[in-house]
Amino acid sequence: MMPMNPADNIESHAEPAAPIMKTILLLEDLPEIRAWLRKLVLQVFPGATISETARVHDAIEMVAAVKFDLALIDLGLPDGSGVDVVTRLRDMQPDAQSVVVTIHDDDEHLFPALQAGAFGYILKEQARELITEQLQRISQGEPPLSPSIARRVMAYFSAKAKPQVNANSMPNVSLTDRESEVLLRVAKGYTLPEIGVQLGLSRHTIADYVKQIYRKLNVSSRAEAALEAQRLGLFR
Amino acid sequence: MLRVLFLGLTLWCALAWAPAAHAEVLVLRQATTASGGGDRFPAEFSTRQVTLPDEWAMSRPGFAGSLWYRTEFRTPAKLPRGDVLSLYIEHVCSTLEVYLNGNLLHTSGANPASPGAVPSAFSAPAGTRSIHDCNHPQLLPLPTALLKDGGNQLDIKVSGHALATSGSRQRAGGLSALMVAPQSELAARYSMQSTLQVAAPQAMSATLALMGGFMFVLGFINRRESHLAYFGALCVGWAGVSARMWMRSVPTSHASAEFFVCALLGFIVWAAVQFLLRYSGARFRWADVGLPLQCATLTLTLALAGPGRLNAVATVWYVILAIEVAAAAMWYLRSQSGARSAWVMGGLLSAATAAALIEAAVQWGRAPTFAAQVAELVAPVVVVLVGLRLVQQHGRALQHAEEGKAALEQRVREATAEIERNFRQMAELRVEQVTERERKRIAGDLHDDLGAKLLTIVHTSESERISTLAREALEEMRLSVRGLTGKAVRLADALGDWRAEVVSRLAQAGIEAEWSAPEDLPQTLGARAYVQTTRILREATSNIIKHSGASSCSVTAGIADGDFTLVVQDDGSGISAEVEGRLDRGHGLASMKNRAKQMQGQCLVESSAGYGTVIRLTIPLNRSMESS
Repeated sequence: MMPMNPADNIESHAEPAAPIMKTILLLEDLPEIRAWLRKLVLQVFPGATISETARVHDAIEMVAAVKFDLALIDLGLPDGSGVDVVTRLRDMQPDAQSVVVTIHDDDEHLFPALQAGAFGYILKEQARELITEQLQRISQGEPPLSPSIARRVMAYFSAKAKPQVNANSMPNVSLTDRESEVLLRVAKGYTLPEIGVQLGLSRHTIADYVKQIYRKLNVSSRAEAALEAQRLGLFR
Repeated sequence: MLRVLFLGLTLWCALAWAPAAHAEVLVLRQATTASGGGDRFPAEFSTRQVTLPDEWAMSRPGFAGSLWYRTEFRTPAKLPRGDVLSLYIEHVCSTLEVYLNGNLLHTSGANPASPGAVPSAFSAPAGTRSIHDCNHPQLLPLPTALLKDGGNQLDIKVSGHALATSGSRQRAGGLSALMVAPQSELAARYSMQSTLQVAAPQAMSATLALMGGFMFVLGFINRRESHLAYFGALCVGWAGVSARMWMRSVPTSHASAEFFVCALLGFIVWAAVQFLLRYSGARFRWADVGLPLQCATLTLTLALAGPGRLNAVATVWYVILAIEVAAAAMWYLRSQSGARSAWVMGGLLSAATAAALIEAAVQWGRAPTFAAQVAELVAPVVVVLVGLRLVQQHGRALQHAEEGKAALEQRVREATAEIERNFRQMAELRVEQVTERERKRIAGDLHDDLGAKLLTIVHTSESERISTLAREALEEMRLSVRGLTGKAVRLADALGDWRAEVVSRLAQAGIEAEWSAPEDLPQTLGARAYVQTTRILREATSNIIKHSGASSCSVTAGIADGDFTLVVQDDGSGISAEVEGRLDRGHGLASMKNRAKQMQGQCLVESSAGYGTVIRLTIPLNRSMESS
């Protein structure tokens, strides 16, 4: 059974002040792209310490040894999936921000990573300026959330909200009305600043909602996994 | 058969009245008897007065041979015109010779030289025939020339057998009352007696033999219906017994014929009991063994007893056999007590029982002749009716079997169709699974290799054009491997994606964006149309950011006449000829138009220097779905 995060972690709000990314993990198997990403990251976060590797195994060792502020994690790697690193990082360093950097833009690849605890994803083939902007936003506590992922998260929570046989045994992780509202607007294509204006809230507050949504997705998925493991254990 | 019986009853009723109506019928009930052979009344021997009918079993037990009867009658005063005075003898056993005033009038046939001689053994000499007229009524015309005006002397020589050597009282010696009357008065009696005693048993024998043969073959072929075979045997046996009634001449001695008929009864009872047991669905080993054994014992006891005690032994056996059949019938009826149609067999068996009781009474000499004659016919009729019932059941069973077979065939067809359908579905599913797996493998390979290389080109190429081409190739590759070509995108979702990208990019470039689109569109857009539209919109946005110098931009989406329309308007400097040329080289306006054309759509660019640019994109929704 995986250790579960304390529920109060969900309630803790990030500081409005943007954290500065000093130690960064870069997990990418293509040397050229890794070099390109390193250059880009250094431009956005000058003076940061970057630990880079092409292997899941090494990345997990690094997670055990070094405390990271940010991790850019590729999914398809020669010795496994980046999702394992996201999970490990979430367990060992809850404050570190995992961001998936991938060539896959489909939900089948992205959603497991988000459930494992990643805060958004960046598509690798995007133009340099776009990636730069996304990294800046992340450092300001504004994780990327695309409309398609927002729709997927909505579908996930609304399926959970349906009455189930084992409803009482499920942990009660559900979205607040505000969070749902934010999610719905993201799905319709509104940007976070726009949503802030529409709801009369600050940009930071909206960003916090987004983070909260990611956290709840992670907590709910873990609880589900734990429950599933328990169920299998009982029946075995 | 029932009709024959009914007719017989009617006739009998009519005849019961006949004597009262016609006084001319002369009934001769007194006769003088004298025993002896020869061809004239042996008046020299001791004579004796008897009353007719004279049954030897009563009047002279144990007597066998020839006996003369002498009666006298007066010629009636007047005869109807064209009629002949006739002598009617209802029953005479076994054979007779009739003399009128000393002249031989009739003889039953070539009797043995010494008719009275009782054969000492069962095996009569070769060529020996025994003749009996027991069942045949006699109607003899009395020639007018031989008649005397006064009294006439009628001598009848009867050759017969003792009851002890006969299996049945009907075939023991005897003579019924004589009737003398005009032929027209006697014809009806004669014809009815012939029907009852000869024609009906003949018909019965033929029917039973035919039906029995048929049933036997049917039961023999189909061993599950073995009761049919036993019934067939019963019918054939009965036909043999009843043949003894009407067959005048048999090529064997009287003793042998009687022996065979009695032995046949054992066989009939064997068949009857087995039939009743098997018909009720039971099968007993003791019956299978015991009945043939009993049959053999019967034959053996009859043979050991000899012809002199045949009647006595046979009577004992009759009782045993009757009890056996009755027990079997009871067993059968008990096993069928729940069945709805049990009354049919019940009624038939009751009728048979009644007939058997009457027959028993006849053998004790306690039954009226006519009742005995009817009773003798009832039993074969019952057998025939049971046979018809069996045929009906067999036919119905056959019909049910046919129906069952048809139903089974139908079910087999359905099951086959079901299996084929399932197989097809499974095959399809399998193909889908294999396709899916293969697609995933190819997707993985492409992403790992081609994707990685394209990505490297995107980020390492010095030329923006090549970067863009590589990025588009990457998108194209994704679309192909994901099989997205089949999956449609909801227009509402697509608008969300487009809005997020366009608005955030414009906002980043400091251009004010205004986006208006209808909410919750139910239409869908083909995956390729979605990607192409995304590219057109991306290109348009890039142009605005890079070249227009606009400060604000509005995007308006809508549905018009089944087409999806998208209008992108900016307040920039417009596109001059110089700019347009540059744009086209850089994968610009021409490619946007080209993409729209691929979707059977249209992309119009309206622009004039200083008044901004309007891009109108129209995509037919249905066709774009089909083409994608």
